[in-house]
Amino acid sequence: MAAPNVRTSSFSRNISVVSSSPQIPGLKCGPNGTTFISTGIRDLDRILGGGYPLGSLVMVMEDPEAPHHMDLLRTFMSQGLVNNHPLLYASPSKDPRGFLGTLPNPGSSKEDKPTAPDLDQGESLRIAWQYRKYMENQKSSIDDYSNDFDMRKPLERQFLAGRPIDCVSLLDSSDLSVAQDHCATFLSKFPRLNSSNIASIGRIAIQSFCSPLCEYSDKESDMLSFIRLLKSMLMVSNAVAIVTFPPSMLSPSSSTRLQHMADTLLSIKAIPDGDKELEKLLTGYKDINGFLNIHKVARINTQVPVIPEAKTFSMSLKKRRFLALECLNQAPVDGSSGTSYGTSGSCSGSSKSGALDF
Amino acid sequence: MADSIFRKLRDGGEEGELAPALTVEETVASPFALDVSCYLLANLSSSILAGKSKSEGLVLVTFSQSPSFYLQFLKQKGIFVSSSSKWIRVLDCYTDPLGWIDQPSPGVITEGSSLIKLHKCVSDLKRLFSSIIEAGREMVGDGKTRFSVAIDSVNELLRHSSMPLVSGLLTDLRSHAQVSSLFWSLNTDLHQEKVTNALEYISTMKANLEPFCPSSDGKRNALENLFLVHQDFGKGRFHIRFKLRKGRVRVMSEEYHVDQTGINFSPISSVETIIAATKSLIPKASYLVHFNLQLSEKERFEKEKVVLPFEHQDHGKSTEIYDGRRTLADGKTEATPLSSGELQADVVSSGKGGEIIYFRDSDDEHPDSDEDPDDDLDI
Repeated sequence: MAAPNVRTSSFSRNISVVSSSPQIPGLKCGPNGTTFISTGIRDLDRILGGGYPLGSLVMVMEDPEAPHHMDLLRTFMSQGLVNNHPLLYASPSKDPRGFLGTLPNPGSSKEDKPTAPDLDQGESLRIAWQYRKYMENQKSSIDDYSNDFDMRKPLERQFLAGRPIDCVSLLDSSDLSVAQDHCATFLSKFPRLNSSNIASIGRIAIQSFCSPLCEYSDKESDMLSFIRLLKSMLMVSNAVAIVTFPPSMLSPSSSTRLQHMADTLLSIKAIPDGDKELEKLLTGYKDINGFLNIHKVARINTQVPVIPEAKTFSMSLKKRRFLALECLNQAPVDGSSGTSYGTSGSCSGSSKSGALDF
Repeated sequence: MADSIFRKLRDGGEEGELAPALTVEETVASPFALDVSCYLLANLSSSILAGKSKSEGLVLVTFSQSPSFYLQFLKQKGIFVSSSSKWIRVLDCYTDPLGWIDQPSPGVITEGSSLIKLHKCVSDLKRLFSSIIEAGREMVGDGKTRFSVAIDSVNELLRHSSMPLVSGLLTDLRSHAQVSSLFWSLNTDLHQEKVTNALEYISTMKANLEPFCPSSDGKRNALENLFLVHQDFGKGRFHIRFKLRKGRVRVMSEEYHVDQTGINFSPISSVETIIAATKSLIPKASYLVHFNLQLSEKERFEKEKVVLPFEHQDHGKSTEIYDGRRTLADGKTEATPLSSGELQADVVSSGKGGEIIYFRDSDDEHPDSDEDPDDDLDI
């Protein structure tokens, strides 16, 4: 028994994209009066039940050994630029604007050739009539909400020029007051006055918040109050903030408190290279770049939890360009140890075996 | 494995990228970071002299040992360093780090040969940075040629400055165009975990030394423990983690052994620990759906042996399966339950046991027979 509105399976219709105000592209209405904006990765949108809800704080726990949190940030920022949402970016580097050069470009529709013929050959495929209309819906409804980003191509100039992008370096000052001021002025432009009338929305991306290079990195209470303030400002504005931080840089209690403050909590895990055990265990091991864990999914205006189909996904690049998140597929196990019997017994009891549910 | 670190340091990074950086971690139980540093130093020096390395010079910043120790060590390894050597410079932060001996002066005093520079203000990291770069430039000039930097030990640096400043210094060194690689050592027992994590965060390779016998868990006899510690003191495991470009991590291990001549590395003798290290990275099985599609040899064998609960076993005689109820024909059939019991015991004793327990539904059921019940149909 799951929240039927939010759980998506191959049989559920994609919610229509008509946004409340046609001037703002990239919004999607969700259940319980929430509005979603795209994460930039189609798979992640689907996993999270639509995207990031407006007014939520997304935190990503970095793995010091893997740079994949940057991909999450990049797709988020690129999606914002493509949809013309104002952007605020903060990072612990001397020149944060340089990061904008690494943002990916939306993959062109010509790349999607394999999927288009499928529809043309619909006749030969003999899809039952009621499913064909879902397939058509899928194709048309996604286009202006989210894009598939080609991680190899840099973002075109048309998306960067003239867009309201504010870059802040976290190294500038010895405390967080500068960053705080920037966030406050940025968020004051998107007040949430009336839930049905959204004037404009903004995106905030903060990278490596507790990096050891920042002078405030040993002042943990300051960092906690900054995030608390950010969260409270977000609750009354139409914006989404994504903050990445390395949890090992903080004391365990501060790390737990930061994680608790997040509405949506994701984490990245590096994958060991050349590991024979893992290669036997997972299919597609060679393509996997890392793991993405979903710890918490935002629930706004509801008591019903969102249960994702799985908690761990593998991040890989399809055709070496497009980020894809997939459930882990285990190769058929050599059953000599007999453990498979034990765990498959527990699978039927746990709610995590969502893939088997119908 | 230690070779692979050395090769990474020797080859340096590419243009436009931050230089590879290595953290060598030691603990109180395995305090051999100095030996590892010396090993790397000797190898780097010989490759620089032979011209095989991308970097053409080496700047050694000494905190925990005096420069003469290193020069002596290099001499032992057959590398002679004289004051006219153009490939090495030593920044001496060991003799007088806080400037207590001489008149306190704001600048760095160059004493004697240009080989060894005395550095006085360790707490001023900006000045330390510029001295390192200056020393490097003296060797290789201002152009595109690069040099490597070795920092003896970061423990002393952390004593005088805060973590953000130290990581700032190391990251600045990494991002300087002329630094091709750098490494430093650290004793993890002297600092908080946060500090160790922060240094690992900014480095691309991490090496740590683990002693063979674990620290006392209180259960073993203290004397026995002491003996083991003494015996195994110079030996242990050397673990390396590389951060690869795609976001993967390469984990390698080997054994090390310290003696008079220095540290020696050898491949690992038993494989168990490597598996243990990677187990933590494998996501828990409950997230995975798995199907056991194949039977191993053992399982196939077991399967053959299982007695199916059919009374008609197709080997000529009827088998009586215990059905949970004593039938009227008990006395007669006492012999056969024994045989089926034996069979069952056989199955149980031979392994995990494939046992099928069958309870007959009712006493009216007749045992299976060869006859085809459809035979009496008249069509």
